[in-house]
Amino acid sequence: MQPFELKTPASLEDAIKELPSERSYTAPQPIAGGQDILTVMKDDIEAPASLVEIGHLLSSEISEEPGGLTLGAGATIQDIADHEGVRSGFTALAEAAASVASPQIRSQGTLGGNLNQRPRCPYYRHSAVSCFKRGGNVCLAEFGFNKYAAILGGGPSYFSHPSDLATALMALGASVVIVGPEGERTVPIADYYVGPEEALDRETVLEAYEVVTKITVPRPASGARTTYYKFKERDSYDFALGAAAISLRVEAGTIAEARVVLGGVAPRPWHSPETEAALVGKPMNAETWKSAGEAAVADAVPLDMNGYKVHLVKGILHRALESLA
Amino acid sequence: MSQPRIPAAEPSWGKRADLDVLNRDIPRIDGPDKVTGRAVYTHDVRIPGMLYAALLRHPVPRALVESIDVSAAEALPGVVHVLQVKEAGDELRYSGDDSVLAVVSAETPEAARDGVRAIVVKAENLEPVVDTERAKEADAPLVNYRRRADSNVAGSRARGDEEKVKGAIDASAKSVEVSVEIPTQHHVCLETHGHVIHPKGEGERSVVYASTQMVSQHGGQLVRPLGLENGQGDKVHVLTPHMGGGFGSKFGAGVEGMLCARIARETGRPVHLMLSRADEFAMGGNRSGSKQTLKLAGDADGKFTAIHVVAERHGGQGGGAFAGAPYQYEVPEVYLDAKSVKTAADSNRAMRAPGHPQASFGMETAVDMLAYETGVDPLTIRKRNLAAKMQRRQLDRVAAEIGWDEHPNKLAPGVPENGIGVGIGFGVCRWTPGGRRARCNVTVRPDGSVVSATATQDLGTGARTYVAAIVAEELGLEVGQVTARIGDSDLPPNVASGGSVTTGSSAPAIKDAAHNAREALEALLEDVLGAEVGDYVWKAGRVHAVGDPERSLAWKEVCALLRQPLEVSGQFQQSLYEGRILGAQAAKVEVDTMTGRVKVLKMVAIQDQGLPLNRMALRSQINGGMIQALSYGLLEQRVFDKEDGFLLSDNLQLYKIAGAQEMPEMVSIIDDSEERDSVCGMAEAPIIPGQSAIANAIYNACGVRMTRMPFTPDNVLTAIHGSV
Amino acid sequence: MADPNQSAPEGRDPHSGGPALSRRSFLKGAGGVAAAGGALSAQAQAQSAEAATAVQTMRGTVEVTLQINGQARTLRCEPRTTLLSALRDRLEPALTGAKQVCDIGSCGACTVIIDGKPAYSCLTLAVQCRGKEVTTVEGLGSPEAMSDVQEAFCAKDGMMCGFCTPGFVVATHAALDRNPEADLEELKYELSGNICRCGTYPHVFDAARAAQAARHDGGEGK
Repeated sequence: MQPFELKTPASLEDAIKELPSERSYTAPQPIAGGQDILTVMKDDIEAPASLVEIGHLLSSEISEEPGGLTLGAGATIQDIADHEGVRSGFTALAEAAASVASPQIRSQGTLGGNLNQRPRCPYYRHSAVSCFKRGGNVCLAEFGFNKYAAILGGGPSYFSHPSDLATALMALGASVVIVGPEGERTVPIADYYVGPEEALDRETVLEAYEVVTKITVPRPASGARTTYYKFKERDSYDFALGAAAISLRVEAGTIAEARVVLGGVAPRPWHSPETEAALVGKPMNAETWKSAGEAAVADAVPLDMNGYKVHLVKGILHRALESLA
Repeated sequence: MSQPRIPAAEPSWGKRADLDVLNRDIPRIDGPDKVTGRAVYTHDVRIPGMLYAALLRHPVPRALVESIDVSAAEALPGVVHVLQVKEAGDELRYSGDDSVLAVVSAETPEAARDGVRAIVVKAENLEPVVDTERAKEADAPLVNYRRRADSNVAGSRARGDEEKVKGAIDASAKSVEVSVEIPTQHHVCLETHGHVIHPKGEGERSVVYASTQMVSQHGGQLVRPLGLENGQGDKVHVLTPHMGGGFGSKFGAGVEGMLCARIARETGRPVHLMLSRADEFAMGGNRSGSKQTLKLAGDADGKFTAIHVVAERHGGQGGGAFAGAPYQYEVPEVYLDAKSVKTAADSNRAMRAPGHPQASFGMETAVDMLAYETGVDPLTIRKRNLAAKMQRRQLDRVAAEIGWDEHPNKLAPGVPENGIGVGIGFGVCRWTPGGRRARCNVTVRPDGSVVSATATQDLGTGARTYVAAIVAEELGLEVGQVTARIGDSDLPPNVASGGSVTTGSSAPAIKDAAHNAREALEALLEDVLGAEVGDYVWKAGRVHAVGDPERSLAWKEVCALLRQPLEVSGQFQQSLYEGRILGAQAAKVEVDTMTGRVKVLKMVAIQDQGLPLNRMALRSQINGGMIQALSYGLLEQRVFDKEDGFLLSDNLQLYKIAGAQEMPEMVSIIDDSEERDSVCGMAEAPIIPGQSAIANAIYNACGVRMTRMPFTPDNVLTAIHGSV
Repeated sequence: MADPNQSAPEGRDPHSGGPALSRRSFLKGAGGVAAAGGALSAQAQAQSAEAATAVQTMRGTVEVTLQINGQARTLRCEPRTTLLSALRDRLEPALTGAKQVCDIGSCGACTVIIDGKPAYSCLTLAVQCRGKEVTTVEGLGSPEAMSDVQEAFCAKDGMMCGFCTPGFVVATHAALDRNPEADLEELKYELSGNICRCGTYPHVFDAARAAQAARHDGGEGK
């Protein structure tokens, strides 16, 4: 890590004043749990001239109302995984939180940090290289080692988004509350993530001078069941090789409503209306799951080493849907 | 110093039934230090005035250095010394120790890394040649730097009459052919390689803390870099109080040790130079990869007739390791052509059973395939082609333990239900653990204290504990009454820990020393207890003459007879050692053919060895062998970017090793059937067959033959569906 | 999309920095990337605590007091100094029980407990621990007075080389605090943030189960 100044503001307003107008290699950045930003700095991907502490300014409260959940961006991932109301009413979110990293990371890492974490592409994380995501003009994964790369929505950069919580929250229709110099704004999480075709220096619409303060999640429709199925190459402490967050309402054996978001296969959490279309109106059985899997990967464009993900996504959807049957 | 009389008897391990200390579960004597953070490893050594050193490595294997500007680094606050290792015009020839450009030493670790970052390097990067297929091409740059070499393919040596073997295969009732691919594995010692060197830490002597597998021999290489003359090895004092794993990668000081010594000499200050994790992956060693094509033939009953093996060893700049063919099984007609393909990657090093897991994977795969092809089950075909009766019995034992008798898929693989299949696979192992010259001193003081000392090192095997326990057994004491001293080059010399040679060498020397101490004490007892040397019983802290338990002395009373400390030495005794060991393993897995997930449900190992000195530590070692093989089979793979040549898997996130949730139910069985009265090491054997058993279990579960390691979801799904 | 010349094989130019845009030219040279960092380091040496504004700033080398193993320990470090490095390299006498193995939060050898929760000390800034209670493996027990978990690790041989052991001991304490009734599968999950290379896991599980059983039999653990 390169030297930096640590700023400790007394209020969120003061914190925002310390944040820069634009992103750059040395532009100041906020720090809460630090579980991602410190790895980014250790890898010399970025060297902020200052870190602005916001952990003490963010709510870590998880409150449940009849209409849904409000989660402070400072809530730890472990708190989300353990929360009774989340576990019973928002299963996909609880399962996603429980699947994140390790006890140490879950205990220190925050919701806000998890949603805003940077890519895990081995090229991006390698201190010796430059690529699109690091201000260069090539995606080294495209023709290099791309076993972990995206099969959907890739290009010009092909990383796969690492956040479990983002995938689950998107299936649950959550919104992101953001505070900036002009005040507060709310962005549906479906619009929060931007792909590399839109921007290469970021993965979200969050500006460098803004902070995520809370997440709201509407309560799933009565009778809906949700799940987050994370598939890891290594069961112990790993990012998703592929994942599916599903919200499903089945009436008399027929799928009435479906929302499907895929994780680990695209540069952002990948909402898949094609999969939903293949499910709705169909009986809840293996044949339907199979056609849902095929619909999910119909537009997949695998690279040299990640063609297996086409089969993996089908398998993940089968296992995830099976768990909801 | 008292001199013992002429020995009255040869030392012996005695009958197992008579042992009070050995062949039992002995808690490690350094356990309390290790579980509380008190144990000091080389990484942990802190000396006032110590500098922290950090390496600058060029990120690609091959380059021509145009310039290296260290001036900005030298000007940084906290930076004390910059050692430039390469100069303008130098050619960097391979990834690893040849990539080290400079070393920055500073007052803090952060300042050292700032210094590394501030060095400006200009270099012309050359085609990396990290891929063996590329290295074999005629127009590939020559990265075989041996004199007169003209090809990257080296060391081709064929053995056997190929025509005859081919004929035998054609004439056989059944045959199979398979090509396997095994990636390069890393040791991943949790304590990286490195040293803390204190120049003239003891007057004219330099003190070298080293994470080394050869504390006795380690200092020699550092004599020159420390500015000493040949023959001044006694001015280098090497200490390895504890070490965080070696697995074969820590023989010798390495480039990092030489540089550390040089910086210590030039600055006159203690220097802490431990490799970073990325350095460790790049230059800390590896187990060579391999490609093999095997043809194995047998008669209608599954008795092997002939084998034809063409193998490549992928050892980077090293020759690679491959244990040959046929591996372990009896085959009458053999043709083997094994060659080395050099790349510009760092050299392979010894790694726990070098070359054997690779050979096991090829052979056990072919054996398994021939079993199904012949219609003989995989257990029976193995027993039919192994010479040792013991190993056939061992296979039956692991088969019983893993549930083979009840298992449905014996002659054909299972058909997955809802995508899930469960299968069982087998593999066998053998090893020849060495026993070489080693010495040990035992000191008994008038106050009753006992010290057992030898310059061995405890890599995690539990060596420190048996250094005390063997003496305790001989003198009728408890382990805690004996102080073990190891990890110090001033102690009586011992062997480098490689090839499971440590126990076979050390234990006899310790036993011999303890025996000599006992006889020396018995000589003093003649006047007190009346019996001759060799006619005493030492038990439970007391001694009495054989047949006369009424008249006895307590240990302290015996020691009070000494007027001065009794110091005796012992040495390796061939009679106390015998080294040939056999084992067998079985694995049970669950495969999800929809996702490619392989979950190992259970592993069983039976391992024969000499007299178990510490049964608990022995079970730890057998578990450890199985787990490292599981990790090798399921996860591990070094990844270079083929185009540019930088090492991508240089961290523990991408280079994955097995964690807690990969652990299956594990059964480690110590094979006591032969009650051997000799001692030997055993750690290499149980690492050999695990990945082979797992691959065979995958096939047994669902009919998917895994010929490429590791058995990650991408490789499993590709094996099922082909490439997309 | 990228200019196809940038990645196509024929566009490759072994001469880094040459006019052709080769893929290899996107390799950064070793070092050199951050002379700015060095410069910053040079100018930021002076310790500073800006006057009481709404934003406190810490830069250069600072003195901080941390609550470690129940004692107030004062040390000098930089904002960027990790808690791990503070414990190992800045404290006098040093606490070297927490080990630096991966230095990037992927192995668990540096695990400590901060305000009752497990943390990778390599992914924690020392200065962010002001006002928090830090417990290291040394704070859980000593060879003379081991904690129940430490005793169980010894009794069950829950270690080989021992380099991962302090991290596992701390993680096991945290796991049993979080989930005292954890079954074997849950224990594996709670210990999944720690890596062992020697292959000690089964005996670590045995130790954790033994400590659980002892807490059941003897009421409160030590």
